Amino acid sequence: MTRLNVLLLLALLASSLYLVRVSYESRRLFAELDKAQNEERALDTDSERLKTELRSQATPLRVERTARERLAMRAATPAVTQYVELPAAAVPASGSGGRP
Amino acid sequence: MSANAKKAAKARAAASVKSFNYSTSPLLAAPTPPWRSKLLVALVGLGFLLLLGRAVYVQIIDAPFFLKQGEIRYGHTIELPASRGRIVDRNGLILAASVPAPSIWAIPKDLDGDARSRARLATLLDMTSAALETRLADNPNFVWLRRQVDEGVAKAVRDLGVKGIHEVREYKRKYPEGEAAAHVVGFTNVEDRGQEGIELAFQKELAGQGGTRRVIKDRLGRVIEDVGDSVAPVEGQDIGLAVDSKVQFFAYQRIRDAVAANKAKAGSVVVLDAQTGEVLALANFPSYSPSDRKNLTGAQLRNRALTDTFEPGSTMKPFVAAWALETGRVTPTTVIQTAPGKMTLTGSTITDSHPHGNLTVTEVIQKSSNVGAVRMAMTFTPREMWELYSSVGFGQKPQLGFPGVVTGRLRPYKTWRPIEQATMSYGYGLSASLFQIAHAYTVFAHDGELIPVTLTRPIGGGAAPLASGIRVLSPKTAATVRGMLHLVTLPGGTAPKAQVLGYSVGGKSGTAYKQEGASYATKKYRAWFVGMAPIQHPRIIVAVMVDEPSAGKYFGGDVAAPVFSEVVQQTLRMMGVQPDLDVKPQIVSREMPAEEESF
Repeated sequence: MTRLNVLLLLALLASSLYLVRVSYESRRLFAELDKAQNEERALDTDSERLKTELRSQATPLRVERTARERLAMRAATPAVTQYVELPAAAVPASGSGGRP
Repeated sequence: MSANAKKAAKARAAASVKSFNYSTSPLLAAPTPPWRSKLLVALVGLGFLLLLGRAVYVQIIDAPFFLKQGEIRYGHTIELPASRGRIVDRNGLILAASVPAPSIWAIPKDLDGDARSRARLATLLDMTSAALETRLADNPNFVWLRRQVDEGVAKAVRDLGVKGIHEVREYKRKYPEGEAAAHVVGFTNVEDRGQEGIELAFQKELAGQGGTRRVIKDRLGRVIEDVGDSVAPVEGQDIGLAVDSKVQFFAYQRIRDAVAANKAKAGSVVVLDAQTGEVLALANFPSYSPSDRKNLTGAQLRNRALTDTFEPGSTMKPFVAAWALETGRVTPTTVIQTAPGKMTLTGSTITDSHPHGNLTVTEVIQKSSNVGAVRMAMTFTPREMWELYSSVGFGQKPQLGFPGVVTGRLRPYKTWRPIEQATMSYGYGLSASLFQIAHAYTVFAHDGELIPVTLTRPIGGGAAPLASGIRVLSPKTAATVRGMLHLVTLPGGTAPKAQVLGYSVGGKSGTAYKQEGASYATKKYRAWFVGMAPIQHPRIIVAVMVDEPSAGKYFGGDVAAPVFSEVVQQTLRMMGVQPDLDVKPQIVSREMPAEEESF
């Protein structure tokens, strides 16, 4: 009887220590998870910021100015456009031919 | 004493020591009365009872209070702000987005750092050292150093490592398109609430709903457990617009240049998709930069295309002609006598600025004869004409869900006098916004149906379905009127400058004296042009208005039509619409034998 009690006491002690460890571990992991989630959010906003910045560097105004001034390009007109029709083309956008 | 007696005494003494146990020892017998020990027991017992009572009180009776107090000491509520949604154009390009913009503040009394790091701080915050010192002297406990700086600046300040400098996380709206789309997109204030445009119209959807989270933090401030219910934030929705940022930019650029070239006061352009009813562009000049709103004036803020009404003038004539055709009163070749360029109706005279003789219905539109339009309109009953005008949206508020959209004015037909009906046939005596006029022209462009217009478009949605609307005219009448509108842009019409290389266009110019108070100003005009292209199967409707052109030219055909032409050219090219007119090609492709490859 006494031996059984001692055994149970030891088991109880072991289990309690394990519980302490597990709850410590769970807190540690939770803190880590939380940190990772915060980081995710921060990276998200950062990527959003960068996307917006990218966009503001590629506005039509900038593209147009660069094309016109630095690259000496000009807008295409129908006179310099060759229109080709795909064999399985859908309904043509406009009526009569007009293939230059 | 004998030896025996001594022995006996000794034995007795030994026996007496042994025969008394501790508790009955007479030596220890307390001289105190027994109640004292009882009292002591009672007091100790009472003490225990008190403890027990307190325990019951703490654990059972007032448990909620203590639980709450405990939680206050270790629990923290974290606010989870919802991020504001983006506004994107039809191709998913960002028109407005929130970016982090930390605000820097300081506790001056905690501030350390030598003169050098302070000077560096001042440079980073874009202020002089003296200005920084003055600001720090304001309040020893809290001063804002700079609101909403760039993330890079905030990081540099952080890296400086000066004690007593703090930052709060704030967000700022960025508008990559700047002033080109300012009137459509609008802007937000410092609290991130929409103030104008789409930002205001969709404030609720864009803002989302902040959440909260209850957590336990440890000694180091790390979150170690969630407690209680957390409310997840509802992120703001992204709003997709039907606007194409390229078309929008181009329209803005053209109207800006036209306003400058004509020394005008203002101008607007509306581009509608004639098949889906989507607003492809809505540009106004003067505009403003939504991210820098210092020194804004009302003139810059006004979304003129939607909020400014004017008398639509000659742009109304095609409706009159269309109705006359629809009801079989005339055919395109019916001759109308407009000589000598004036007519008198109940004492008032209606004149044409250029007198013509006999004109067919087609020519009345092509040459924009007031007298011709009046002769057709006087065959209508007032009610008939009112119904025609209101069925194409005049006097009706455009269903756009956009702030500040105006209704215009179309008086009830019962109050019309004959002269008023006559002037209304050529667009005086009623008012409409440029957007309403463009919308009304969907009747001609969409084969007789007035289609609903929309500014928004589901994000990621495919091509918008062909809109169907309320039928006002038969497809045949609409096609006939389109033919007349096409003639306007040909030699002999009022607006040959509206022609576009490669595409057939049609439209109607308008010029009007500006109304000032009760009468018309003599030297102030408003010029506009509304048209569509390609004329056989219109894809877009473009309306252009220039306010007070004062560089000599003031006719719609001279001032607004060139803008129309350029906008149509660019828009159709961007939409990939095949030209329907023959263009002399400048590309020469010859059959050339290929060089043989060596192997």
